[in-house]
Amino acid sequence: MTTQDHCSVTEGCITCGDIAVPLTVVSMVDMDARCRDEQGREELVAVELVGALAPGDRVLVHAGVAIERLTKDLQTSQSTRSGE
Amino acid sequence: MRFVDEFRDPELAGVLGAEITALCEPGREYKIMEVCGGHTHTIYRYGVQDHLPDNIELVHGPGCPVCVIPMGRVDDGVAIAQRDDVILTCFGDMMRIPGGNGSFLDANAAGADIRMVYSPLDALRIARQNPDKQVVFYAIGFETTAPSTALTILRAKQEGITNFSIFCNHVTIIPAIKAILDSPDLRLDAFLGPGHVSTVIGCRPYDFIARQHGKPLVCAGFEPLDLLQSVYMIMKQFKEGRAEVENQYGRVVDWDGNPRALAVMNDVFALRPYFEWRGLGSIAHSALQLSSRYADFDAELRFEVPGVRVADPKACQCGEVLKGVLKPWECKVFGTACTPETPIGTCMVSSEGACAAYYNYGQYAKQRIHLEV
Repeated sequence: MTTQDHCSVTEGCITCGDIAVPLTVVSMVDMDARCRDEQGREELVAVELVGALAPGDRVLVHAGVAIERLTKDLQTSQSTRSGE
Repeated sequence: MRFVDEFRDPELAGVLGAEITALCEPGREYKIMEVCGGHTHTIYRYGVQDHLPDNIELVHGPGCPVCVIPMGRVDDGVAIAQRDDVILTCFGDMMRIPGGNGSFLDANAAGADIRMVYSPLDALRIARQNPDKQVVFYAIGFETTAPSTALTILRAKQEGITNFSIFCNHVTIIPAIKAILDSPDLRLDAFLGPGHVSTVIGCRPYDFIARQHGKPLVCAGFEPLDLLQSVYMIMKQFKEGRAEVENQYGRVVDWDGNPRALAVMNDVFALRPYFEWRGLGSIAHSALQLSSRYADFDAELRFEVPGVRVADPKACQCGEVLKGVLKPWECKVFGTACTPETPIGTCMVSSEGACAAYYNYGQYAKQRIHLEV
């Protein structure tokens, strides 16, 4: 995955601001994880901020770092509100 | 595409639009600010506003990180990059942001070694590969990006890399929202909360917006249906007389955020007493600097920088656009002297900038005709 793939005005730049992409873990490489996007592109991602991962887990990646683990099932995407 | 198509269904968008319209009180105007530049991009790329009734206005907020960088900080970066022993690294959007003495791209053309990177970890790799050079990462971004920079500093320290430092411009979203709420220029009814910032900080920091200001906030995802559902949730709160913080982006955002990311940020960074935001002015405790434990990696201490405040060009009205007081097409130079190819203001540079979003997706033409009527 190259910078040029993403830093276009029309597609938005995933390295900047509040943009992040969901990726799937393919394998663990030392402290990092090799992750794949829906188009099959792969990159090495730092995963210290989301805890232990296994192949198949999905993570939200921003600037080469996984910032959150994603729920596997969209049906679990519940809306919640303050106090609940 | 899985996990994407589900959130771009035009039929569902129509259904949601109709339900939102049904919740509107006749004769009442609603102003909802999308704080995040990523939301602005989605709104104009997919025509989200077209699914909303005329009395709901989406107001663009200050959440594009490169758009709020003041010109003086760009000049500081250029001054560091002009040193023979320095490689300056930055994200792509930063390259064309105009400073008082030109942009990073201009400095690069004049011979400075400035390189685009995808991640601060790439900047650290460049430092490993160039031990005879000082490698500086020009760090920008809100709480979405700050953990990546913090993690990179931790790795640099762990590996004993001494030729790496960061020029820190990380900002925090809550003080900016407070500044907007305190601004006399603008009356807002509700907020669409920044989804990925909330991934890190969670939803609790927004509580004051509901409790003290009586305004709803819904943390929203970045697909068109995410935004429409979030507007629906806000309108439902109005209908039921509630003002609460809600989380539409539950598939990503945990109510308490990411504790690991917050711990890393708290370790590596400290709050600056003040930081200047383009358009919003100087805001107390609104930005991050390296904490004293990591001062060895602070480029502001390692290199001499001008540190001069530079006034924005007079023709540029980015400040008003960032506060949501002006729509992009109401700026005097929008689409004429200021275009994505030759930007005068920051909002025209980044794909997340409100002006670039309007310009690239053609909404400005329709709105201009509407204004002239």
